[in-house]
Amino acid sequence: MSSASSSPNATVGILALQGAFAEHQMMLQRLSMKRRIVVVQVRTADDLAKCDALIIPGGESTTMAILARSAGLLEPLKEFLRKKVVWGTCAGAILLSKSVENAKKGGQELLGGISVKTARNGWGSQVESFEAPLQVEGLRDTSRPFTGVFIRAPVVFELVPSPSDPPIEVIARLPPQCLPRSQTDIADESDARTIVALRQGRHLLTTFHPELTNDNRFHEYFIQECVLPSLS
Amino acid sequence: MTTPTGANTPSLSTPTVPHGVGNVSSSSVAPSRSKEPRDGGSSASGTFGVKSGLAQMLKGGVIMDVVNPEQARIAEEAGACAVMALERVPADIRAEGGVARMSDPAMIKEIIDAVTIPVMAKVRIGHFVEAQILQAVGVDYIDESEVLTPADEEHHINKHAFKVPFVCGARNLGEALRRISEGAAFVRTKGEAGTGNVVEAVRHTRAVQSAIRQASVMSEEELYLFAKEIGAPYHLLKETSRLKRLPVVNFAAGGIATPADAALMMQLGCDGVFVGSGIFKSGDPAKRAKAIVQAVTHYNNPKTLAEISGDLGEAMVGLNIEPDMKGGRMANRGW
Repeated sequence: MSSASSSPNATVGILALQGAFAEHQMMLQRLSMKRRIVVVQVRTADDLAKCDALIIPGGESTTMAILARSAGLLEPLKEFLRKKVVWGTCAGAILLSKSVENAKKGGQELLGGISVKTARNGWGSQVESFEAPLQVEGLRDTSRPFTGVFIRAPVVFELVPSPSDPPIEVIARLPPQCLPRSQTDIADESDARTIVALRQGRHLLTTFHPELTNDNRFHEYFIQECVLPSLS
Repeated sequence: MTTPTGANTPSLSTPTVPHGVGNVSSSSVAPSRSKEPRDGGSSASGTFGVKSGLAQMLKGGVIMDVVNPEQARIAEEAGACAVMALERVPADIRAEGGVARMSDPAMIKEIIDAVTIPVMAKVRIGHFVEAQILQAVGVDYIDESEVLTPADEEHHINKHAFKVPFVCGARNLGEALRRISEGAAFVRTKGEAGTGNVVEAVRHTRAVQSAIRQASVMSEEELYLFAKEIGAPYHLLKETSRLKRLPVVNFAAGGIATPADAALMMQLGCDGVFVGSGIFKSGDPAKRAKAIVQAVTHYNNPKTLAEISGDLGEAMVGLNIEPDMKGGRMANRGW
Protein backbone atom coordinates (compact mmCIF):
# COMPACT_ATOMS: atom_id res chain seq x y z
CA MET A 1 0.00 0.00 0.00
CA SER A 2 2.79 2.36 0.80
CA SER A 3 5.09 1.73 -2.14
CA ALA A 4 3.69 2.95 -5.42
CA SER A 5 6.12 0.94 -7.52
CA SER A 6 4.83 -2.45 -6.39
CA SER A 7 1.20 -1.36 -6.58
CA PRO A 8 -0.77 -2.52 -9.59
CA ASN A 9 -2.89 0.63 -9.35
CA ALA A 10 -2.16 4.06 -10.74
CA THR A 11 -3.54 6.85 -8.57
CA VAL A 12 -4.60 9.90 -10.53
CA GLY A 13 -5.54 13.00 -8.55
CA ILE A 14 -7.84 15.73 -9.79
CA LEU A 15 -7.42 19.13 -8.20
CA ALA A 16 -10.90 19.62 -6.71
CA LEU A 17 -10.76 23.19 -5.41
CA GLN A 18 -13.17 24.64 -7.99
CA GLY A 19 -14.29 23.95 -11.55
CA ALA A 20 -15.04 20.91 -13.68
CA PHE A 21 -13.24 18.25 -11.63
CA ALA A 22 -16.16 15.79 -11.51
CA GLU A 23 -16.22 15.70 -15.33
CA HIS A 24 -12.59 14.52 -15.42
CA GLN A 25 -13.39 11.93 -12.79
CA MET A 26 -16.28 10.53 -14.87
CA MET A 27 -14.03 10.29 -17.93
CA LEU A 28 -11.28 8.45 -16.03
CA GLN A 29 -13.76 6.06 -14.43
CA ARG A 30 -15.09 5.11 -17.87
CA LEU A 31 -11.65 4.10 -19.18
CA SER A 32 -10.68 0.48 -19.29
CA MET A 33 -6.93 0.25 -18.97
CA LYS A 34 -4.58 -2.63 -18.18
CA ARG A 35 -3.76 -1.04 -14.89
CA ARG A 36 -6.55 -0.06 -12.50
CA ILE A 37 -6.91 3.70 -12.23
CA VAL A 38 -7.76 5.02 -8.79
CA VAL A 39 -9.14 8.56 -8.83
CA VAL A 40 -8.65 10.93 -5.89
CA GLN A 41 -10.17 14.40 -5.48
CA VAL A 42 -7.37 16.62 -4.20
CA ARG A 43 -8.21 19.40 -1.73
CA THR A 44 -5.32 19.10 0.74
CA ALA A 45 -1.60 18.27 0.73
CA ASP A 46 -2.44 14.84 2.22
CA ASP A 47 -4.74 14.08 -0.72
CA LEU A 48 -1.96 15.10 -3.12
CA ALA A 49 0.60 12.85 -1.42
CA LYS A 50 -1.41 9.78 -2.49
CA CYS A 51 -1.19 10.61 -6.20
CA ASP A 52 1.05 9.35 -9.01
CA ALA A 53 -0.24 11.99 -11.42
CA LEU A 54 -2.51 15.04 -11.29
CA ILE A 55 -5.08 16.73 -13.51
CA ILE A 56 -5.70 20.45 -13.00
CA PRO A 57 -9.21 20.98 -14.42
CA GLY A 58 -10.96 23.89 -16.08
CA GLY A 59 -12.53 26.51 -13.86
CA GLU A 60 -11.34 29.94 -12.80
CA SER A 61 -7.56 30.03 -12.48
CA THR A 62 -7.60 32.99 -10.05
CA THR A 63 -10.08 31.19 -7.78
CA MET A 64 -8.03 27.98 -7.84
CA ALA A 65 -4.78 29.82 -7.04
CA ILE A 66 -6.39 31.64 -4.09
CA LEU A 67 -7.90 28.40 -2.75
CA ALA A 68 -4.62 26.53 -3.25
CA ARG A 69 -2.82 29.17 -1.21
CA SER A 70 -5.31 29.06 1.67
CA ALA A 71 -5.29 25.25 1.70
CA GLY A 72 -1.46 25.26 1.90
CA LEU A 73 -1.27 23.52 -1.48
CA LEU A 74 0.86 25.91 -3.54
CA GLU A 75 4.29 24.62 -2.49
CA PRO A 76 3.25 20.92 -2.51
CA LEU A 77 1.87 21.44 -6.03
CA LYS A 78 5.11 23.05 -7.26
CA GLU A 79 7.06 20.18 -5.70
CA PHE A 80 4.71 17.65 -7.35
CA LEU A 81 5.33 19.29 -10.75
CA ARG A 82 9.07 18.76 -10.39
CA LYS A 83 8.66 15.00 -9.92
CA LYS A 84 5.40 13.74 -11.33
CA VAL A 85 3.05 13.92 -14.27
CA VAL A 86 0.57 16.81 -14.51
CA TRP A 87 -2.08 17.65 -17.12
CA GLY A 88 -3.64 21.11 -17.15
CA THR A 89 -6.84 21.86 -19.11
CA CYS A 90 -7.88 25.49 -19.75
CA ALA A 91 -7.53 27.15 -16.32
CA GLY A 92 -5.10 24.33 -15.49
CA ALA A 93 -3.07 25.28 -18.56
CA ILE A 94 -2.86 28.86 -17.30
CA LEU A 95 -1.61 27.67 -13.90
CA LEU A 96 1.08 25.53 -15.60
CA SER A 97 2.36 28.46 -17.71
CA LYS A 98 5.61 30.25 -17.00
CA SER A 99 3.92 33.62 -17.46
CA VAL A 100 0.49 34.97 -18.35
CA GLU A 101 -0.95 37.99 -20.20
CA ASN A 102 -4.27 39.67 -19.30
CA ALA A 103 -3.84 38.55 -15.68
CA LYS A 104 -5.92 40.18 -12.98
CA LYS A 105 -4.73 43.52 -11.60
CA GLY A 106 -1.77 43.00 -9.31
CA GLY A 107 -0.81 39.79 -11.13
CA GLN A 108 -1.79 36.22 -10.67
CA GLU A 109 -0.15 33.33 -8.89
CA LEU A 110 1.08 30.52 -11.20
CA LEU A 111 2.59 27.10 -10.61
CA GLY A 112 4.75 27.10 -13.74
CA GLY A 113 6.13 23.83 -15.04
CA ILE A 114 5.65 24.31 -18.77
CA SER A 115 7.71 26.83 -20.77
CA VAL A 116 4.90 28.76 -22.38
CA LYS A 117 3.45 32.22 -22.08
CA THR A 118 -0.36 32.17 -22.30
CA ALA A 119 -2.97 34.90 -22.60
CA ARG A 120 -6.13 34.54 -20.49
CA ASN A 121 -9.42 34.70 -22.38
CA GLY A 122 -7.26 35.00 -25.48
CA TRP A 123 -10.15 34.62 -27.93
CA GLY A 124 -12.45 37.06 -26.11
CA SER A 125 -15.53 36.80 -23.87
CA GLN A 126 -18.08 33.99 -23.67
CA VAL A 127 -19.87 34.86 -26.94
CA GLU A 128 -16.57 34.03 -28.70
CA SER A 129 -16.40 30.56 -27.09
CA PHE A 130 -16.49 27.83 -29.73
CA GLU A 131 -16.19 24.16 -30.66
CA ALA A 132 -13.83 22.99 -33.40
CA PRO A 133 -12.76 19.63 -34.85
CA LEU A 134 -9.08 18.92 -34.09
CA GLN A 135 -6.53 16.50 -35.46
CA VAL A 136 -4.51 15.30 -32.49
CA GLU A 137 -1.16 13.57 -32.96
CA GLY A 138 -0.93 10.18 -31.24
CA LEU A 139 -4.61 9.76 -30.32
CA ARG A 140 -6.23 6.37 -30.92
CA ASP A 141 -8.08 6.42 -34.23
CA THR A 142 -6.08 9.53 -35.25
CA SER A 143 -7.98 10.20 -38.44
CA ARG A 144 -11.22 10.77 -36.51
CA PRO A 145 -11.26 14.43 -35.37
CA PHE A 146 -11.55 15.24 -31.68
CA THR A 147 -14.04 17.94 -30.68
CA GLY A 148 -12.15 20.77 -29.01
CA VAL A 149 -14.44 22.74 -26.69
CA PHE A 150 -12.95 26.20 -26.12
CA ILE A 151 -14.63 28.16 -23.32
CA ARG A 152 -13.16 31.60 -22.59
CA ALA A 153 -10.03 29.68 -23.47
CA PRO A 154 -6.45 30.78 -22.94
CA VAL A 155 -4.21 31.20 -25.98
CA VAL A 156 -0.61 29.99 -26.12
CA PHE A 157 1.11 33.27 -26.86
CA GLU A 158 4.72 32.22 -27.08
CA LEU A 159 6.96 29.22 -26.41
CA VAL A 160 9.67 30.31 -23.99
CA PRO A 161 11.94 27.29 -23.41
CA SER A 162 15.31 27.78 -21.79
CA PRO A 163 18.17 25.55 -23.04
CA SER A 164 17.94 23.25 -20.03
CA ASP A 165 14.18 22.60 -20.46
CA PRO A 166 12.93 19.38 -22.06
CA PRO A 167 11.77 19.86 -25.68
CA ILE A 168 8.20 21.02 -26.38
CA GLU A 169 6.13 18.72 -28.56
CA VAL A 170 3.06 20.27 -30.20
CA ILE A 171 0.30 17.66 -30.49
CA ALA A 172 -2.61 19.74 -31.81
CA ARG A 173 -3.19 23.04 -33.58
CA LEU A 174 -6.34 24.88 -34.55
CA PRO A 175 -6.76 24.46 -38.31
CA PRO A 176 -6.88 27.81 -40.19
CA GLN A 177 -10.58 27.51 -41.09
CA CYS A 178 -11.41 27.09 -37.39
CA LEU A 179 -9.66 30.17 -36.06
CA PRO A 180 -12.15 32.61 -34.54
CA ARG A 181 -13.05 35.26 -37.08
CA SER A 182 -11.80 37.99 -34.75
CA GLN A 183 -8.23 36.66 -35.13
CA THR A 184 -7.45 38.09 -38.56
CA ASP A 185 -3.78 38.71 -37.80
CA ILE A 186 -2.82 35.02 -37.55
CA ALA A 187 -1.59 34.47 -41.11
CA ASP A 188 1.04 31.83 -40.43
CA GLU A 189 0.03 28.27 -39.54
CA SER A 190 3.12 27.93 -37.35
CA ASP A 191 2.05 30.91 -35.20
CA ALA A 192 2.20 29.84 -31.53
CA ARG A 193 -1.37 31.05 -31.08
CA THR A 194 -2.68 28.13 -33.16
CA ILE A 195 -1.25 25.62 -30.63
CA VAL A 196 -3.99 24.06 -28.49
CA ALA A 197 -2.28 20.97 -27.06
CA LEU A 198 1.36 20.31 -26.25
CA ARG A 199 3.67 18.18 -24.15
CA GLN A 200 6.86 19.11 -22.38
CA GLY A 201 8.76 16.52 -20.38
CA ARG A 202 6.25 14.75 -18.16
CA HIS A 203 3.52 17.33 -18.56
CA LEU A 204 0.55 17.81 -20.85
CA LEU A 205 -1.28 21.06 -21.59
CA THR A 206 -4.56 21.61 -23.44
CA THR A 207 -6.32 24.94 -23.82
CA PHE A 208 -9.64 23.16 -24.50
CA HIS A 209 -11.84 20.76 -22.51
CA PRO A 210 -11.64 17.05 -23.44
CA GLU A 211 -13.73 16.38 -20.28
CA LEU A 212 -16.70 18.18 -21.86
CA THR A 213 -17.05 15.64 -24.66
CA ASN A 214 -18.28 12.06 -24.72
CA ASP A 215 -14.98 11.03 -26.32
CA ASN A 216 -12.49 9.52 -23.86
CA ARG A 217 -9.57 9.23 -26.27
CA PHE A 218 -7.71 12.17 -24.75
CA HIS A 219 -7.94 10.75 -21.23
CA GLU A 220 -6.79 7.40 -22.58
CA TYR A 221 -3.85 9.17 -24.24
CA PHE A 222 -2.92 10.89 -20.97
CA ILE A 223 -2.91 7.61 -19.01
CA GLN A 224 -1.22 5.61 -21.75
CA GLU A 225 1.39 8.12 -22.91
CA CYS A 226 2.09 10.20 -19.82
CA VAL A 227 1.03 8.44 -16.61
CA LEU A 228 1.88 4.76 -17.14
CA PRO A 229 5.37 5.35 -18.64
CA SER A 230 6.25 7.51 -15.60
CA LEU A 231 5.46 4.60 -13.27
CA SER A 232 7.55 1.91 -14.88
CA MET B 1 -1.52 -0.69 6.50
CA THR B 2 2.12 0.22 6.88
CA THR B 3 1.43 3.71 8.14
CA PRO B 4 0.64 3.73 11.85
CA THR B 5 -2.47 5.80 12.35
CA GLY B 6 -3.32 6.23 16.01
CA ALA B 7 -6.99 6.43 16.84
CA ASN B 8 -6.52 9.99 18.07
CA THR B 9 -4.60 11.29 15.06
CA PRO B 10 -7.00 13.47 13.12
CA SER B 11 -6.83 12.90 9.41
CA LEU B 12 -6.05 16.02 7.45
CA SER B 13 -7.17 14.66 4.13
CA THR B 14 -10.58 15.38 2.65
CA PRO B 15 -13.18 13.19 4.37
CA THR B 16 -15.43 11.05 2.26
CA VAL B 17 -18.89 12.39 1.54
CA PRO B 18 -21.09 11.81 4.59
CA HIS B 19 -24.42 10.40 3.63
CA GLY B 20 -26.56 13.14 5.06
CA VAL B 21 -30.24 13.44 4.35
CA GLY B 22 -29.98 15.46 1.22
CA ASN B 23 -26.67 14.28 -0.11
CA VAL B 24 -26.42 13.25 -3.72
CA SER B 25 -23.63 11.32 -5.33
CA SER B 26 -20.71 13.65 -5.95
CA SER B 27 -19.93 11.86 -9.18
CA SER B 28 -23.16 12.86 -10.85
CA VAL B 29 -22.51 15.62 -13.31
CA ALA B 30 -24.54 17.40 -15.95
CA PRO B 31 -23.84 15.75 -19.31
CA SER B 32 -21.65 17.14 -22.05
CA ARG B 33 -23.46 18.92 -24.88
CA SER B 34 -20.58 19.19 -27.31
CA LYS B 35 -21.23 18.27 -30.92
CA GLU B 36 -19.97 15.21 -32.73
CA PRO B 37 -16.85 16.16 -34.69
CA ARG B 38 -17.24 16.86 -38.37
CA ASP B 39 -14.28 16.21 -40.58
CA GLY B 40 -12.72 19.35 -42.01
CA GLY B 41 -15.58 21.36 -40.56
CA SER B 42 -15.29 24.88 -39.29
CA SER B 43 -15.72 26.11 -35.76
CA ALA B 44 -19.11 26.82 -34.19
CA SER B 45 -19.77 29.46 -31.53
CA GLY B 46 -22.82 29.95 -29.33
CA THR B 47 -23.59 26.20 -29.21
CA PHE B 48 -25.43 24.74 -26.25
CA GLY B 49 -22.15 22.88 -25.56
CA VAL B 50 -20.20 26.06 -24.87
CA LYS B 51 -23.14 27.68 -23.06
CA SER B 52 -23.61 24.84 -20.57
CA GLY B 53 -19.84 24.27 -20.56
CA LEU B 54 -19.15 27.68 -19.01
CA ALA B 55 -21.60 26.83 -16.21
CA GLN B 56 -19.65 23.61 -15.67
CA MET B 57 -16.47 25.66 -15.24
CA LEU B 58 -18.16 27.76 -12.55
CA LYS B 59 -19.05 24.73 -10.41
CA GLY B 60 -17.71 24.57 -6.90
CA GLY B 61 -17.52 28.35 -7.00
CA VAL B 62 -19.22 31.46 -5.65
CA ILE B 63 -20.83 34.11 -7.87
CA MET B 64 -21.05 37.45 -6.08
CA ASP B 65 -23.31 40.48 -6.62
CA VAL B 66 -21.28 43.67 -7.09
CA VAL B 67 -22.38 47.24 -7.83
CA ASN B 68 -19.10 48.86 -8.89
CA PRO B 69 -15.56 48.00 -10.10
CA GLU B 70 -14.13 48.29 -6.55
CA GLN B 71 -16.49 45.62 -5.24
CA ALA B 72 -15.76 43.47 -8.30
CA ARG B 73 -12.04 43.63 -7.50
CA ILE B 74 -12.70 42.66 -3.86
CA ALA B 75 -14.77 39.71 -5.09
CA GLU B 76 -12.05 38.61 -7.52
CA GLU B 77 -9.36 38.85 -4.83
CA ALA B 78 -11.53 36.79 -2.49
CA GLY B 79 -11.74 34.02 -5.11
CA ALA B 80 -15.19 34.55 -6.68
CA CYS B 81 -15.54 32.43 -9.84
CA ALA B 82 -17.72 35.16 -11.43
CA VAL B 83 -19.45 38.42 -10.52
CA MET B 84 -23.00 39.61 -11.13
CA ALA B 85 -22.94 43.29 -12.10
CA LEU B 86 -26.00 45.25 -10.94
CA GLU B 87 -26.94 48.75 -9.82
CA ARG B 88 -28.53 47.78 -6.52
CA VAL B 89 -28.17 44.55 -4.55
CA PRO B 90 -31.52 42.81 -3.85
CA ALA B 91 -31.61 44.07 -0.23
CA ASP B 92 -31.58 47.66 -1.54
CA ILE B 93 -34.13 46.88 -4.26
CA ARG B 94 -36.40 45.64 -1.45
CA ALA B 95 -35.76 48.67 0.75
CA GLU B 96 -36.09 51.32 -1.97
CA GLY B 97 -38.91 49.80 -4.03
CA GLY B 98 -39.86 51.10 -7.48
CA VAL B 99 -39.22 49.38 -10.80
CA ALA B 100 -35.90 47.54 -10.92
CA ARG B 101 -34.40 47.35 -14.44
CA MET B 102 -31.26 46.20 -16.26
CA SER B 103 -28.16 48.06 -15.05
CA ASP B 104 -26.45 50.86 -16.97
CA PRO B 105 -24.34 49.21 -19.74
CA ALA B 106 -21.53 51.73 -19.11
CA MET B 107 -21.31 50.55 -15.49
CA ILE B 108 -21.31 46.90 -16.61
CA LYS B 109 -18.47 47.66 -19.06
CA GLU B 110 -16.41 49.22 -16.28
CA ILE B 111 -16.82 46.04 -14.26
CA ILE B 112 -15.90 43.86 -17.27
CA ASP B 113 -12.71 45.91 -17.65
CA ALA B 114 -11.87 45.68 -13.94
CA VAL B 115 -11.76 41.87 -13.61
CA THR B 116 -10.61 38.76 -15.51
CA ILE B 117 -13.34 36.43 -14.18
CA PRO B 118 -16.69 36.07 -16.03
CA VAL B 119 -19.16 38.94 -15.61
CA MET B 120 -22.90 38.28 -15.50
CA ALA B 121 -25.75 40.77 -15.52
CA LYS B 122 -29.50 40.63 -14.94
CA VAL B 123 -32.39 41.35 -17.28
CA ARG B 124 -36.08 41.56 -16.45
CA ILE B 125 -38.15 38.42 -17.07
CA GLY B 126 -39.31 38.51 -20.70
CA HIS B 127 -37.32 41.63 -21.63
CA PHE B 128 -35.48 40.31 -24.68
CA VAL B 129 -34.24 43.73 -25.75
CA GLU B 130 -32.38 44.21 -22.47
CA ALA B 131 -30.84 40.79 -23.27
CA GLN B 132 -29.85 41.93 -26.78
CA ILE B 133 -28.16 44.95 -25.23
CA LEU B 134 -26.24 42.87 -22.68
CA GLN B 135 -25.12 40.46 -25.40
CA ALA B 136 -23.81 43.45 -27.37
CA VAL B 137 -22.02 44.76 -24.26
CA GLY B 138 -20.17 41.42 -24.06
CA VAL B 139 -21.33 39.99 -20.73
CA ASP B 140 -20.45 36.31 -20.23
CA TYR B 141 -23.82 35.19 -18.81
CA ILE B 142 -27.30 36.74 -18.50
CA ASP B 143 -29.53 36.13 -15.49
CA GLU B 144 -33.21 36.43 -16.46
CA SER B 145 -34.09 37.33 -12.93
CA GLU B 146 -37.13 37.62 -10.68
CA VAL B 147 -35.14 40.12 -8.60
CA LEU B 148 -35.87 42.75 -11.25
CA THR B 149 -39.44 43.83 -12.01
CA PRO B 150 -40.87 41.50 -14.70
CA ALA B 151 -41.43 43.00 -18.16
CA ASP B 152 -43.76 40.22 -19.29
CA GLU B 153 -46.16 38.40 -17.01
CA GLU B 154 -46.69 35.41 -19.32
CA HIS B 155 -43.58 34.80 -21.40
CA HIS B 156 -39.93 34.28 -20.66
CA ILE B 157 -37.21 35.14 -23.18
CA ASN B 158 -36.57 32.64 -25.99
CA LYS B 159 -33.02 32.01 -24.87
CA HIS B 160 -32.12 29.71 -27.79
CA ALA B 161 -32.06 32.82 -29.98
CA PHE B 162 -28.96 34.20 -28.22
CA LYS B 163 -25.24 33.39 -28.40
CA VAL B 164 -24.74 34.48 -24.82
CA PRO B 165 -25.86 31.85 -22.28
CA PHE B 166 -28.64 32.37 -19.70
CA VAL B 167 -29.19 31.33 -16.09
CA CYS B 168 -32.73 31.30 -14.66
CA GLY B 169 -34.29 30.82 -11.23
CA ALA B 170 -36.63 27.97 -10.32
CA ARG B 171 -38.63 26.89 -7.28
CA ASN B 172 -39.38 23.34 -8.40
CA LEU B 173 -38.57 20.77 -11.06
CA GLY B 174 -41.31 21.82 -13.47
CA GLU B 175 -40.15 25.43 -13.46
CA ALA B 176 -36.48 24.41 -13.90
CA LEU B 177 -37.29 22.20 -16.90
CA ARG B 178 -39.50 24.89 -18.50
CA ARG B 179 -36.56 27.31 -18.32
CA ILE B 180 -34.16 24.72 -19.82
CA SER B 181 -36.69 24.12 -22.56
CA GLU B 182 -36.60 27.85 -23.36
CA GLY B 183 -32.80 27.64 -23.65
CA ALA B 184 -31.42 28.27 -20.15
CA ALA B 185 -28.01 26.53 -19.90
CA PHE B 186 -27.77 26.95 -16.14
CA VAL B 187 -30.40 26.91 -13.35
CA ARG B 188 -30.40 28.32 -9.82
CA THR B 189 -32.89 28.20 -6.98
CA LYS B 190 -34.85 31.40 -6.55
CA GLY B 191 -34.66 31.39 -2.78
CA GLU B 192 -35.81 34.79 -1.51
CA ALA B 193 -33.29 37.39 -2.62
CA GLY B 194 -32.25 40.24 -0.35
CA THR B 195 -33.39 38.58 2.87
CA GLY B 196 -30.24 36.90 4.19
CA ASN B 197 -32.64 34.06 5.06
CA VAL B 198 -31.69 30.72 3.54
CA VAL B 199 -35.03 29.00 4.21
CA GLU B 200 -36.53 29.51 0.73
CA ALA B 201 -33.37 28.35 -1.07
CA VAL B 202 -33.50 25.18 1.05
CA ARG B 203 -37.20 24.73 0.26
CA HIS B 204 -36.59 25.08 -3.49
CA THR B 205 -33.58 22.75 -3.54
CA ARG B 206 -35.45 20.13 -1.52
CA ALA B 207 -38.45 20.41 -3.85
CA VAL B 208 -36.32 19.90 -6.96
CA GLN B 209 -34.35 17.00 -5.44
CA SER B 210 -37.47 15.28 -4.16
CA ALA B 211 -39.21 15.49 -7.55
CA ILE B 212 -36.06 14.13 -9.27
CA ARG B 213 -36.02 11.18 -6.87
CA GLN B 214 -39.67 10.49 -7.63
CA ALA B 215 -39.13 10.74 -11.39
CA SER B 216 -36.07 8.50 -11.29
CA VAL B 217 -38.13 5.42 -10.40
CA MET B 218 -41.16 6.12 -12.63
CA SER B 219 -42.23 4.03 -15.60
CA GLU B 220 -42.70 5.72 -19.00
CA GLU B 221 -46.48 5.94 -18.48
CA GLU B 222 -46.00 7.58 -15.10
CA LEU B 223 -43.48 10.02 -16.56
CA TYR B 224 -46.02 11.23 -19.16
CA LEU B 225 -48.49 11.93 -16.37
CA PHE B 226 -45.87 13.53 -14.12
CA ALA B 227 -44.74 15.78 -17.00
CA LYS B 228 -48.32 16.99 -17.35
CA GLU B 229 -48.71 17.53 -13.60
CA ILE B 230 -45.56 19.60 -13.15
CA GLY B 231 -45.83 21.39 -16.51
CA ALA B 232 -42.50 20.08 -17.77
CA PRO B 233 -41.56 19.05 -21.32
CA TYR B 234 -41.61 15.24 -21.42
CA HIS B 235 -38.21 14.75 -23.08
CA LEU B 236 -36.42 16.86 -20.47
CA LEU B 237 -38.21 15.08 -17.62
CA LYS B 238 -37.21 11.76 -19.11
CA GLU B 239 -33.58 12.84 -19.34
CA THR B 240 -33.68 14.10 -15.75
CA SER B 241 -35.10 10.78 -14.63
CA ARG B 242 -32.31 8.90 -16.43
CA LEU B 243 -29.53 11.17 -15.10
CA LYS B 244 -31.05 11.41 -11.60
CA ARG B 245 -30.14 15.11 -11.62
CA LEU B 246 -31.02 18.29 -13.53
CA PRO B 247 -29.60 18.11 -17.05
CA VAL B 248 -27.72 21.40 -16.53
CA VAL B 249 -25.61 22.87 -13.70
CA ASN B 250 -27.67 23.93 -10.68
CA PHE B 251 -26.60 26.59 -8.17
CA ALA B 252 -28.20 27.81 -4.95
CA ALA B 253 -29.29 31.46 -4.71
CA GLY B 254 -31.47 33.76 -2.66
CA GLY B 255 -30.70 34.28 1.02
CA ILE B 256 -27.21 32.82 1.48
CA ALA B 257 -25.37 34.93 4.06
CA THR B 258 -22.81 32.76 5.88
CA PRO B 259 -20.18 30.09 5.08
CA ALA B 260 -22.44 27.57 6.83
CA ASP B 261 -25.38 28.55 4.56
CA ALA B 262 -23.16 27.98 1.52
CA ALA B 263 -21.92 24.58 2.76
CA LEU B 264 -25.52 23.58 3.58
CA MET B 265 -26.60 24.25 0.00
CA MET B 266 -23.60 22.29 -1.32
CA GLN B 267 -24.38 19.32 0.94
CA LEU B 268 -27.97 19.44 -0.26
CA GLY B 269 -26.58 18.75 -3.73
CA CYS B 270 -26.14 22.18 -5.38
CA ASP B 271 -23.15 22.64 -7.72
CA GLY B 272 -22.19 26.10 -6.39
CA VAL B 273 -23.72 29.24 -4.89
CA PHE B 274 -24.72 32.80 -5.73
CA VAL B 275 -24.31 35.30 -2.91
CA GLY B 276 -26.14 38.57 -3.44
CA SER B 277 -26.58 41.02 -0.62
CA GLY B 278 -24.90 38.65 1.86
CA ILE B 279 -21.38 39.90 1.20
CA PHE B 280 -21.46 43.65 0.64
CA LYS B 281 -24.21 44.18 3.23
CA SER B 282 -22.04 42.57 5.91
CA GLY B 283 -19.52 44.11 8.30
CA ASP B 284 -16.33 42.84 6.62
CA PRO B 285 -17.10 42.00 2.96
CA ALA B 286 -13.56 40.91 1.91
CA LYS B 287 -13.22 38.50 4.81
CA ARG B 288 -16.73 37.08 4.50
CA ALA B 289 -16.37 36.68 0.74
CA LYS B 290 -13.15 34.70 1.19
CA ALA B 291 -14.72 32.52 3.89
CA ILE B 292 -17.75 31.68 1.72
CA VAL B 293 -15.45 30.77 -1.21
CA GLN B 294 -13.55 28.37 1.04
CA ALA B 295 -16.77 26.97 2.50
CA VAL B 296 -17.95 25.95 -0.98
CA THR B 297 -14.69 24.06 -1.66
CA HIS B 298 -14.43 22.43 1.78
CA TYR B 299 -18.21 22.00 2.29
CA ASN B 300 -17.76 18.45 3.55
CA ASN B 301 -15.11 19.24 6.11
CA PRO B 302 -16.69 20.58 9.34
CA LYS B 303 -13.28 21.21 10.89
CA THR B 304 -12.28 23.57 8.07
CA LEU B 305 -15.75 25.15 8.16
CA ALA B 306 -15.30 25.85 11.87
CA GLU B 307 -11.96 27.58 11.23
CA ILE B 308 -13.23 29.79 8.41
CA SER B 309 -16.55 30.70 10.06
CA GLY B 310 -14.92 32.47 12.99
CA ASP B 311 -14.39 36.20 13.44
CA LEU B 312 -16.14 37.39 10.27
CA GLY B 313 -17.79 40.49 11.72
CA GLU B 314 -21.49 41.28 11.42
CA ALA B 315 -23.58 39.21 9.00
CA MET B 316 -26.20 41.09 6.99
CA VAL B 317 -29.40 41.79 8.87
CA GLY B 318 -31.87 39.05 7.99
CA LEU B 319 -35.56 39.31 7.11
CA ASN B 320 -38.26 36.82 7.98
CA ILE B 321 -40.27 35.50 5.06
CA GLU B 322 -43.78 36.98 5.56
CA PRO B 323 -46.63 37.66 3.14
CA ASP B 324 -46.40 41.44 3.70
CA MET B 325 -42.60 41.67 3.83
CA LYS B 326 -40.96 44.77 2.40
CA GLY B 327 -40.43 44.32 -1.33
CA GLY B 328 -42.77 41.30 -1.46
CA ARG B 329 -42.10 37.71 -2.44
CA MET B 330 -39.79 37.95 -5.45
CA ALA B 331 -39.77 34.16 -5.88
CA ASN B 332 -43.41 34.30 -7.01
CA ARG B 333 -42.39 36.18 -10.16
CA GLY B 334 -41.81 33.91 -13.17
CA TRP B 335 -44.15 31.44 -14.81
